[in-house]
Amino acid sequence: MSFLDEVKSVGMYTKYIVVIAAVVIAALASAFVLSYLWMPTGGIGSRESATTALTTTSPATHVTTTLSGVVNGAGASFPNPQIQAWASKFYELTGGRIQVNYQSIGSGAGQAKFREGVVDFAGSDPPLKSDIYNEFKAKGGIIQFPIIIGTIVIVYNIPGVESGKLRLTGEVVAKIYLGEISYWDDPAIKALNPDLNLPHEKIIAVHRSDGSGTTRVFTAYLSKVSEAWKNKVGSDFTVSWPVDELGNGVGGKGNEGVSAAVKQNPYSIGYVETAYAYSTGLAIALIRNRDGNYVLPTKEAVASAAKALVKVLPKADEDWSHIFPDQTVDPPGKESYPITSFSFVILRQVYDDPVKVAILKEFFEWVLTEGQKPENIVEGYDPLPPEVAAIGLDGLKLLRTG
Amino acid sequence: MDSEKIFLLFLIVFVSTSLLIVAGIVTSLIINSYQIFLRDGLSFIFKNVWNPVKEDYGILPALLGTLISSAIAISIAMPLAISLAIFSAEIAPTSIRGFINSVSDLMASLPSVIYGLWGLYVLAPILNQYIMTPLYQYLGFIPLFSTKPIPTNLFTAGVLLAIMITPFSSSIIREAYNAIPHHLKEAAYSLGMTRWEVIRTLLGYIKSAILAGAFLALGRAMGETVAVAMVVGNTFTLPRSLFDMGYTISSLIANQFPNAEAYSYMMPALYGGALVLFMVGLIINLAGLYWIRRVMTRG
Repeated sequence: MSFLDEVKSVGMYTKYIVVIAAVVIAALASAFVLSYLWMPTGGIGSRESATTALTTTSPATHVTTTLSGVVNGAGASFPNPQIQAWASKFYELTGGRIQVNYQSIGSGAGQAKFREGVVDFAGSDPPLKSDIYNEFKAKGGIIQFPIIIGTIVIVYNIPGVESGKLRLTGEVVAKIYLGEISYWDDPAIKALNPDLNLPHEKIIAVHRSDGSGTTRVFTAYLSKVSEAWKNKVGSDFTVSWPVDELGNGVGGKGNEGVSAAVKQNPYSIGYVETAYAYSTGLAIALIRNRDGNYVLPTKEAVASAAKALVKVLPKADEDWSHIFPDQTVDPPGKESYPITSFSFVILRQVYDDPVKVAILKEFFEWVLTEGQKPENIVEGYDPLPPEVAAIGLDGLKLLRTG
Repeated sequence: MDSEKIFLLFLIVFVSTSLLIVAGIVTSLIINSYQIFLRDGLSFIFKNVWNPVKEDYGILPALLGTLISSAIAISIAMPLAISLAIFSAEIAPTSIRGFINSVSDLMASLPSVIYGLWGLYVLAPILNQYIMTPLYQYLGFIPLFSTKPIPTNLFTAGVLLAIMITPFSSSIIREAYNAIPHHLKEAAYSLGMTRWEVIRTLLGYIKSAILAGAFLALGRAMGETVAVAMVVGNTFTLPRSLFDMGYTISSLIANQFPNAEAYSYMMPALYGGALVLFMVGLIINLAGLYWIRRVMTRG
């Protein structure tokens, strides 16, 4: 073959290759579009469990299941490490038959995906809002119950003042974030800490810049203990911080952003989930509880708070929006730590797929019993007292196929 | 069909796809944000408030923060980028040119979250201690430096952005510089010009590439999300000095998007912010194109 012929044939091949590539690309594109159009409302996530098979059902108290399948959840980032730990332990215990996926995308987004039916369960720091709860109630109902306790601690960075030495009240914290108390040697702080040598330095108040359940609970606490806070600011995932307008506020993205800001700014104060306070070695403040004692977020103080709440907590199928967190912060009890919070799981009462019902039941029953044992709790979280876990266990009985 | 036609067909398909994607993005931005403009009108752009409790949103501080931090970034990055480009193309010994270029290209391709973490834990404290605090102490009477700095603020965000965009615009300038026909350089030297005079002349020759590098870098600075969100301070206030904390539109979106669906108007407000950012970017780029064209026609 001469050189010229070779060039010609290469040219020919190129043409074919181009045509083939075009066909392949077109086929892939149309397959993608069509598969998307044909997808049931459940979307990509819920398809997987359609392939699951119900072999036998077993009474769901221990992990003796022969069920197999996948359930998908999404939502709050706060319980994510704990849920992942439970999911992987459960995956092991079931010999890889049951897979629970959880995407940490934020409480709001998780609730939205759950409403759209894209995921089977939602993880959420606050329970559903009233209107959404009622919407679900009209469509077969939902259950929502606490799965883990998270505690919010007030951290500070005052050179010379060690961890666990600074005493604060909710009202003083509210005034700091309102911008009404701007110096560490303010008489209101001095009165609580007669033994400390507090400097005449401006307080830098650090808060979350991203919308978060942590902020929702923290501001619920401030609203409960301070009328001024309730009227001026209120409680939500994100609020408009009065202290920012004075130039003394800093926003940090995520718990890690708040911890970093407190660490880097002498004379600052902030609020984070317990785990971050310990891992970053930040100083933790004593907070005065409703009974007038100054407490640290110890296991006992948190458990005491959770137990004190059992009486006010509703049932799993009831509307929690008026109770949590506005009624649950600052609970009674001599030892109770005031800013204790739950993280919730939200489930439908009715699912189309009997396998899904069985898996959800089995997994969350395990979470609320075995999962609460110390060896299954990730550091930085606190287990539910049995009385609180019972709310979820009762609620799970309502799950059914429809 | 002959190969010419197939080739043309391909071009049409791919060109129209990219046009459709841009059009689709703009359309979805408008569809998703019209509610907030319907409710608040243009005051959404000129209000200083972000209060989800009252569902009241206005993005002025974030818009200003975007413009200020990008302006700081571009004014620090351009001299650095031009110097780096000239050094690696003209002055550095040939043996280390490849090394410099690959390090700079590596920097351009690092994920921004790495810059963000480094900015938060390393850059911010250093800047605060050695640059911002002295500036505030000795030049605090100048309004630009009048705020007592804390590590995370608009200035830190600007410097971090400058570091992020320098390698990128430098490589554009370097490529343009290397593409200058060799005889021009030889001619310049043969006229008896010094090295500095030659470089200055050649830089004039690639003015349009330098401007293009600057505008592309500006676009990246304005759109940068994660890294800025970590170091900008994230407080919703109108900045009064360079050392004030602030917000940028993209960091606002990064911060607020995860829980936005819990509100009725936050999603439209965030999409509205994205639309405004898109518009501002478009205006700046059009102005840049116009400028580059004028520079080119003047020669």
